[in-house]
Amino acid sequence: MMSRDPKAAREWFVRLWADLKASTDASLLVILRFVGLLYGPLDTRLPIGKAFRKALRHRLSPEAGWRQAFGGIAYLLFIILVVTGVLLSFYYRPSTQEAYQSIQHIVSGVSFGWLMRDLHVWAANLVVLGALLHMARVFFGAAYKPPRETNWIVGVLLLFSVFAFGATGYLLPWDQWSYWTVTEGLDILARTPLVGGWLVRILRADPIVSGATLSRFFAIHVIVLPWLVLGLLALHFALVRKHGVAPRVSANRTGRTGVPFFPYHFLRMVITGTLVVAVALTAALLFPRPVAAPANPAQPPGMLFSTWILADVSRALIYYLGGWGFGAFLLLGAGMVLLPIFDRSPERRLRRRPIVAALGVLFFLTFATAWGAGWRLRSIPTTTSGELTPFQKQPTGATPGAPLPSIAPASRPATSGSDTTNSGGAP
Amino acid sequence: MLTALLTATFVAAPAAGRPAAARPAGRTAPTLPAQVPGATADTANGCLACHAAQRRAATEGIHAEHGVTCVSCHGGDPAAVTLPRGHSGHFVGTPDKAATAELCGSCHSDPDRMREYGLPTGQLAQFRSSKHGQLLFGQHNNDVPTCTDCHGTHIIYPPYDARSRVYPTNIPGTCASCHSDPKLMAKYHIRTDQFAQFRNSAHGVALFQDQNFAAPTCVGCHGAHSELPPTVTEIASVCGRCHVLVEQEFAKGPHGAAARAGKLPGCLACHSNHGTERVPADSISATCDRCHGSDSQVHQFAVDIQHRVVQATADIQSAERAIDQMAAAGERVGYYRFRYKSGLTYFREIAQKQHRLNLDTLDDLARRVRSVSIDLDSRAKGTQESRWEHKLLLLPVWFLSLSAVVLALLALRGLRKRDRDSDSSET
Repeated sequence: MMSRDPKAAREWFVRLWADLKASTDASLLVILRFVGLLYGPLDTRLPIGKAFRKALRHRLSPEAGWRQAFGGIAYLLFIILVVTGVLLSFYYRPSTQEAYQSIQHIVSGVSFGWLMRDLHVWAANLVVLGALLHMARVFFGAAYKPPRETNWIVGVLLLFSVFAFGATGYLLPWDQWSYWTVTEGLDILARTPLVGGWLVRILRADPIVSGATLSRFFAIHVIVLPWLVLGLLALHFALVRKHGVAPRVSANRTGRTGVPFFPYHFLRMVITGTLVVAVALTAALLFPRPVAAPANPAQPPGMLFSTWILADVSRALIYYLGGWGFGAFLLLGAGMVLLPIFDRSPERRLRRRPIVAALGVLFFLTFATAWGAGWRLRSIPTTTSGELTPFQKQPTGATPGAPLPSIAPASRPATSGSDTTNSGGAP
Repeated sequence: MLTALLTATFVAAPAAGRPAAARPAGRTAPTLPAQVPGATADTANGCLACHAAQRRAATEGIHAEHGVTCVSCHGGDPAAVTLPRGHSGHFVGTPDKAATAELCGSCHSDPDRMREYGLPTGQLAQFRSSKHGQLLFGQHNNDVPTCTDCHGTHIIYPPYDARSRVYPTNIPGTCASCHSDPKLMAKYHIRTDQFAQFRNSAHGVALFQDQNFAAPTCVGCHGAHSELPPTVTEIASVCGRCHVLVEQEFAKGPHGAAARAGKLPGCLACHSNHGTERVPADSISATCDRCHGSDSQVHQFAVDIQHRVVQATADIQSAERAIDQMAAAGERVGYYRFRYKSGLTYFREIAQKQHRLNLDTLDDLARRVRSVSIDLDSRAKGTQESRWEHKLLLLPVWFLSLSAVVLALLALRGLRKRDRDSDSSET
């Protein structure tokens, strides 16, 4: 198409040559610059090399530092989850007939399949921690105050998406632990006032957790949530870029212009990122998730082992505080999520915000304590040992084999003539 | 008026007519009395007008289902509206215990009548031969039960109905209602602890806890209607009705010969009667010593048997653990489970064959169990080792990531130093 206009073609080659020459310097992004060979000559407004240089030179506010790492950590873990998740989906089969066998194949048949699975499990745990620490930093640092309150709401939606990811992913191994934990979880969800029953009907798609549930959870886990989270992340990052990093509590802006993203913040990202990957790998190598017995809807397992941080926390809360304690914690969380929408005062010092501080400390302390307690409870017996399950219990008597309460008049005395009492009413 | 009355009478006739037609030829059907105009046309259950307490018997129980009404057993005239007439005809009233048995037998011993229901007809003859029947008919002893004491009086449920006193799980309690009464049993010098022993016996646990109705209740060994304790020489045969293979081996061994000669109470010598204990593997020789003494020649032989059984038990348990380990590591254990099952068959065969007291047979079986166990153990060990090798990945992971972190930190320090130098040179 260029050959018809030799002048334009020559110009194109000149520009291409100039771009190639510019690409030969020792840049970290040399490969992407080659992509710019396609991009640059076609779009003359901003060649990709320049675009990258501009992005790298972008100056962060002087407040940007190590404290901002948690959000990045959560994002990195999300990327790990996407990569390992895609690899797992090459082998995983979402049906009750094949799910368990495909997990066995991934763990024992596919090379490094075990690593992908354990990394996926552990990244799913760590991403909750990363997101919560990021949330705590924003909460205590008053980074949610206007104009960033929209981003707080987007962040909260992202946190809920993380929970939904974990809850739907929990069922996919289709073993006894995942089956019965999800059954238990849906039973709890069904008791939520107003929406509980309706929500559980949609999610479970059957009177019990079944193949229909597995299909829905799989679709939500690999189709619905990833796109939702990608959209929310784009919005989240765009808003961060628009408003910049929140100023420090004791803002001291005089005479400081901030540092460029590259190489200063980039190096910090390299350090935290490397450590996060190393920690996730270590956890995956040292504590692989065991493969439990295949799911059996007719027989709850003797021990229910929890493999997800939120399952630990909610189980500990219900075990030690009961259903009301769990409900109270949910209300506390809801209060924490909603507070920034109403707290619009410009005050940033934590000492001047006692309600916020108390709420936050209470929430995060309870979470941490319940998590610790949940670790101790990791596998709790489903019934107290030795006690019969309700199915085994005889409905007729307290002691097995005790005589039934007689329905007919009790065996009458041996002598005859005692049955005449009824004839008293005869004329 | 008269036409209407006649129609009503004939429409109601099938219900009233069937038991009347089924009555023995010697009895005549009660004649219908002159009806008071407007009175109910259902004359089959007229007795209930006075005997209101028995009302439920007209609709509940197996007799009501098959149209057996008051008059079928008690005679009289159910269509009468006044007392002398109602109790007229072949009125039986309340029969005593012996007469009750005869009364039940008048239908239940008639093969022609029972054919319809597929019921046996020997119960009365069996009852006459039982200890209960001998006392009742021979000595007119009214302490013993008659049919109604176990089966119920007016509302009689079939044995497969859980409300029946002769439903499998209710039978021991029904027998115990007399046999656990110390005052009653003292007269006949019978112990009262059978039910307590049975409840904890292998049979009682199977019956009450596992709801295994193949387990014998009292009637399984003593007979239901022909109840009597088995004699010493009969015991092995009684147990062998269910434990067929064990009894075959027992009969081939030295104890079998002794039991046939009446020198040994059969199976009860080691397992007791109502308590039916399993002999744990580690107390086999102690059980032998109860009769043979610990200083006898037999003692060493008993210790040899015990040694093999204990070893085989440990082997089969370790094979089971090996399979669990492999399954938890995600191995496909279908083949190994198959192998384990064959080992388990040999192990169970030990329990059966040891009743013959032949050391060579035991040796052979124990060796087979051991070979399965060693095979599975070594495979599990292989899995564990490859799992351990995974952990070696920690070395490159931490070496690489720590190097990267150190390099990045050095670079960051270098940058800061350069910035400070340039700052100072500017000022």
